[in-house]
This record gives sequence, structure tokens and C-alpha cells, in this order.
Amino acid sequence: MNDTDETALIARVAQGDERAFLMVYDRYTSRVHGLTLHILGDPMLAEEATQDTFLKLWSRARQYLAERGPFLPWLLTIARHVALDRLRLEARRPALSDSNDPEEVWQTLPDLETVAEESRWRSTYFAVQSLHPDLRQVIELAYYQGLSQSEMAEVLGWPLGTVKTRLRAAMEKLRELWNEK
Amino acid sequence: MTRNEHTPFSDNIPAYAIGALDVDDIAALEAHLKTCASCQTELAAYRAVSASLLTATPPKQPSAELRKRLQSRLPSAQKPARPRFAWSFGQLAVGMALVLLLALNTYSILQMRSLQLAQTQLTRQYRTGQTLISMLSYPTTERLAISADSVVGSLLLDKDRNIVALIVWNMPQLQEDKTYQIWLIDPQGERVSAGIFRPESGQAYTTQIAFPEQNLSSFVGIGVTVEPAGGSAAPTGERVFKVDF
Repeated sequence: MNDTDETALIARVAQGDERAFLMVYDRYTSRVHGLTLHILGDPMLAEEATQDTFLKLWSRARQYLAERGPFLPWLLTIARHVALDRLRLEARRPALSDSNDPEEVWQTLPDLETVAEESRWRSTYFAVQSLHPDLRQVIELAYYQGLSQSEMAEVLGWPLGTVKTRLRAAMEKLRELWNEK
Repeated sequence: MTRNEHTPFSDNIPAYAIGALDVDDIAALEAHLKTCASCQTELAAYRAVSASLLTATPPKQPSAELRKRLQSRLPSAQKPARPRFAWSFGQLAVGMALVLLLALNTYSILQMRSLQLAQTQLTRQYRTGQTLISMLSYPTTERLAISADSVVGSLLLDKDRNIVALIVWNMPQLQEDKTYQIWLIDPQGERVSAGIFRPESGQAYTTQIAFPEQNLSSFVGIGVTVEPAGGSAAPTGERVFKVDF
């Protein structure tokens, strides 16, 4: 499906076209569910978060603007927020300020459409996996668990300075790997 | 700015980009970013890294049941089946006449009720407006921003008179069996209900005023979730937004 076809499909969803909505679901559910399952770790909670994500898409499809960026990252951003909110509700943890709100993500999304979808997730997945375990752990806790640096220090039992140093090193490493691509 | 003065801000950029910077450090960094082009460039680069993590998890197909559950939530699955009847011409004529008579009577009743409802709504809106004006003019009323996805607005907090007011734009319309519910959050994370409301159709913004029984000074935040009609004893649904005091 090219960009124009996808934009037209989302526009149909925004107009209440259920068939178009189910086509979007069939196309992207594995990506959304992979993310929610990774965050929540529980298949039942992940399915609830996946369902909530697509229900949000159903009610907010008109808010997607093709000129601001590709559809999949927009959808996955919603999925991440839904999953992290559920994680915090389950853990009864207060919400944190999240600088990755969908509006700001539009400004800096990489050009994800230039890489085939299959190779894209694999290359980013393996980039994270290639990190030293300590660095990978802080990325997991920060991005997929929504923890702040102080919270990570508490959970890991590390000094706050160590957490800061390792998170910075992990992000610098990922930035290097991303630039190599 | 020297390199030593610059470093504490630039060191925080990766954590800020991934959403892990502690709340206490965010305001200072955001103030610095407004005036530092090089840090803005750094932030853009790290945000791209952070955004790439969206696609760094392996795809996983959910159960087939999920698709069915989702389909059952769509409007077409909510509509009742239309009954079929076989009518003679005479029955049809009598039936149409009765329907017309009923429609005329119903129209009159509905007109009256519509006027009464409009009057009630206008009265409510007037009183709400008066309360908001008084809160805004009160010197110790706090105003906090609400921002979550497309939902934006303001929270007015009057701890002296124990009043909370929400003025929110772009609240999604709800199905008939749902309601929004306000929760006051105490320091231990416990939620106490402060009322339920539904956005008015045809209006871009929603105002809701709550007069909680408990002392507002004993709470640290407020949140709004989607709940079944009538509300819940504790939050069960999707959170729409949350504001920390």
C-alpha cells in the first residue's frame, strides 16, 4: 500500500467506514500488539491496550494529518501512551511528564518510510539488543516502562548519577547506530 | 554561555528526549531550550532516536477474539435488527393515520420538553459562568494547564472555598453507556471520585465545576477517566488527562 492509498484509507476511517477501519486493524495490529505486549508483559492486559488503541483510532482518526508524518508512528505513539497509562494504573504509580506527546513526535520522526517495514523493526530491535545489558536496561525502563531517572535509580538500586550516565551513554550509542543506517 | 554552564543542560537532553528526565529538571531545561539553537538541534536528534524505539519491538499477532471484540464495539454492531411486517392496504392506511396523530401529539410534547430543557441548560450555563468568573477574580485561585493528546484546557483550583473547575476543549463525545468521571488523587495514589459529567453535543468546550466534600488541600492531583454510565467506585477505564497540583 503506498502513502496515497494509506492516507485515503485513514480518511475513510475518519468518516466512519468500518471496513476501512478493519483493514487498518488487520494491517497494523501485530505492530501495535507487539509494542503493548512488550510494555505490559501480560497478554490479557496487552490485548486490552491494543483494543483501546484501535478504539482511540476509531474516535480520533480525523486528527491524523498525513502531511505531518507517517501513520504507523502516530498509531504506535498512541499505543505506547495507552500501554504506559495502563501500566501506571496497575502499579498505582503517579503519571510523569512525558516529552514524547504525539504533537512533538511529528517534528522529529525519522523518515521511516524509506526503509522496508520488516527490515526497519529488525534493525532498530537489534540496535537495542546490541547495547551492553546495563545500557539496554535503562532504555527498557525509560521508554517501555515510562520511569524517570530517579525512579530507575530506586528500582535498580543504582546511584542517580550512574543512571544518568548510563542513559546518556545508551542514547548516544543508539544515535551513532541510527546515523550509521 | 561557557561550556561548563552549558553542559548541565546538554547532558539532560537525552533523558528529556526519551521522557525520563525528572520533573524538577524539566522546567530549567525547557527554559534553556527556548534560547539555545544547538541544544534544540541536539534534542531533535535524540527525539529521532527515541521515536525509533516505537518500531524496535517484534510484531506479535493478538488472538482472533480481539478482532471480534473490537468489531462488536463498532456502531454497526450496536444497531438492533429491524423487524419485518406484512400489512394489508387498509391496515397500512389506518396505521399511517395513527402514526401521524401520534407524531403530532409527540411533536407538541417534545417541543415543550425541548424548551424546558433549553431553559434548564441556559440556567446551568449562567450559574457555571458566574462561578468561573468569581473563581478567576479570587486572588488565591490557582490556574493549571490541561494538555493530553488533543484535549486542552485549564483547571481552576480554589482551595480556600474548596472548588475545582475544569474548562476543557476537544473532549471526545461518548457513547450513551459511558461517562467521564473526575478523580481527586491523594499523596498515596488513592483516587476519590469528585463527580461525573458528559460533554454537551455541539459545543467545542466543556465546563465542569465540582464542590468536593473532602478538603482539596489533602490532594495532589486530579484526573479524568472514561467510566460506565453512573460512574465507578474506582477508576476502571481509559484516562483522558491528569493534572498534578
